[in-house]
Amino acid sequence: MTKEKRNKLISLNLEEKISISKNIIKEAINKFGRDKIAIAWTGGKDSTTMVWLYREVCNELSIQLPRCIFIDEGDVFDEIIEHIEQTRRKWDIDLTILRNEDILKKIKKIRDIIKIKELNDRNKKELKLIGFEGDEFLFEPESYVGNHLMKTVPLKIFIEENGIEAISTAIRWDEQEAREDEEFFSPREKPKHTRIHPILHFRERDIWHTILKYKIPYCRLYEQGYRSLGSRYNTQKLSDLPAWEQDLESTPERAGRGQEKEKIMDQLRQLGYM
Amino acid sequence: MLRLFKKKKTKVVIIGLDGVPYSLLRNLINQGRLPNMARIFSQGYFGPTTVCLPEISSVSWTSFMTGTNSGTHGIYGFMDFKPGTYKLYFPNFRDLKATTLFDEIGERGKRSIVINLPSTYPAREIRGVLISGFVAIDLKKAVYPLSLLPKLEEFKYRIDIDTARARDDHDFLIQDLYETLKIREETVNYLWKNEDWDLFMVVITGTDRLQHFLFDAYVDKTHPYHQAFVDYYEKIDTFVGRIYEKYTQLEAEKAFFMLSDHGFTQIKTEVYINRWLFENGYLKFNTNTPKMVTDIGPGTIAFALDPSRIYINLRGKYPLGNIDKKDYNRLREELKSAFLEIKYEGESILRQVFFKEEIYTGPFLDQAPDLVLLSKHGFDLKATVQRDVVFGRSILQGMHTYDDAFFFSDNNEVCKNIFEIKKKIQKYFN
Repeated sequence: MTKEKRNKLISLNLEEKISISKNIIKEAINKFGRDKIAIAWTGGKDSTTMVWLYREVCNELSIQLPRCIFIDEGDVFDEIIEHIEQTRRKWDIDLTILRNEDILKKIKKIRDIIKIKELNDRNKKELKLIGFEGDEFLFEPESYVGNHLMKTVPLKIFIEENGIEAISTAIRWDEQEAREDEEFFSPREKPKHTRIHPILHFRERDIWHTILKYKIPYCRLYEQGYRSLGSRYNTQKLSDLPAWEQDLESTPERAGRGQEKEKIMDQLRQLGYM
Repeated sequence: MLRLFKKKKTKVVIIGLDGVPYSLLRNLINQGRLPNMARIFSQGYFGPTTVCLPEISSVSWTSFMTGTNSGTHGIYGFMDFKPGTYKLYFPNFRDLKATTLFDEIGERGKRSIVINLPSTYPAREIRGVLISGFVAIDLKKAVYPLSLLPKLEEFKYRIDIDTARARDDHDFLIQDLYETLKIREETVNYLWKNEDWDLFMVVITGTDRLQHFLFDAYVDKTHPYHQAFVDYYEKIDTFVGRIYEKYTQLEAEKAFFMLSDHGFTQIKTEVYINRWLFENGYLKFNTNTPKMVTDIGPGTIAFALDPSRIYINLRGKYPLGNIDKKDYNRLREELKSAFLEIKYEGESILRQVFFKEEIYTGPFLDQAPDLVLLSKHGFDLKATVQRDVVFGRSILQGMHTYDDAFFFSDNNEVCKNIFEIKKKIQKYFN
């Protein structure tokens, strides 16, 4: 999609955006069928809004909500679990929890050392696939290795075992530069499936407008000032103000998440580079 | 000789001193300030070297450890554009395309201990121990094997001084340099004693930091920090002396090397290359207030990445590329002549302008800058886009030089450039 087209979509008003999202969801259900779709629900503001959009569409079509999946990467905030559990009950969600048990049963806490030789064959194979050659690594869900083992691998296995054709995720263009190349329907390989991105064109502000306007449940960490929720060990709040009262337009949403690139740039700047 | 009959283990020790000029060591030795290095250097070959281009630590240490140039090892600078985009990424140890000295002797079963070598982050497996140096953000990703991490945390190990604070507060700079050196030495002592090794290497990066922020204090004897500057070098001399002392006690065939990755000199002026390209119509931005070189706009002919790398905005290679291949060589000649004309207070600022094929060879030549500038001493090239004049100063006092780095070998090995050093070391393990 061209930058102009993206910018046009991003500048629409909220109801127009919601309407586009619903059309994407309808198109997805038509194309893949309700049973071949899984909705990736992290308990964050974006994916909860996405689940709400699916609910609205499914109510209109009088069909059941596709199943939702939650990936437990081993360091989830208690507040997220609480929010997931309450919302699951309230909305009667068919929820599957994905975990890499092989790793989780070997660790007690974040940064425990994991020895490769003690892992099962699938995990060993996956490490080889991403070019990891060490004997051990530190358990961290958001490191390169951790992210692959704790999130990508359980998702791959889930797709393979359930004949899933499409995963719906709540990424947004304005979150970070790397998302600019994404489309509403983006093909993925290994395993082959489609990513559905119904709220790509939402800004952070639009999410909060939707949540507050339609009384969508949200995790209470946002009230305490968190803007973007990742693993517990790697997420800080940016302010004591509730997320929606912060200056969303001029402060980075993901600044409280692990940001090695920014630190590198900062160190280079001190020595006169950049 | 006995060694023909009874082959002892060979041990090699290497001390890297980041950014230390040959001329500065000579000078301080002549003044009697560096008694250990004076004694050690008198027992072997000590001489000046040239390094790589651009003359910066990430490229230079990579050239040292691989014995190759950027066209082969793939590291051209601290940052680069992702192919086909104007998006920055920061090449790291994972992006290195060539094998290192440590990998190669590791294949022969030799163990290396490598402490604070720049451009080895994130740490990965080597046969031995690796503690990454600059740029390294997170200590736990800078240590191989991880089992060493608790020990380093106990030492309160640090990868670098706190440059953000040190650049404005020179008292803090000095204090932080000492503290960091002390911890580095503790780490050296611990690993020397507790690890089995064939090659032991440690790099001191504090010298580079001191010189970036306080090189004037070296040149000017009345400078309030002159004494502090020389005192730090005396501390380095003591550090070197203590390692050399341990080295002399090793019962093995052995070799001792020292080197730096570039020289240093005082700054007359910084030269903002991208501003020059902008003023001369070669570079356009997509905003009136560009913050980063990524803000390139349509109509751009050429742009620069730090410190001295010039890229032609070729069609097909970049999103806004508008230069045809047929115009490439003509344009390079045009730019070369124009760059060589740049003068500051009547003096031309450049020594030479290179086309990529003149300085790089290898499979990654296509990722190379199309031209690389080499300035005369005193003219510090910068690619920042946040300046509205071509010449200016910042808080920095010292700049790197391509020549006047140094090399020492206690076995009288002679090396004139950084690319040859690996071979000289490696032969001790053949």
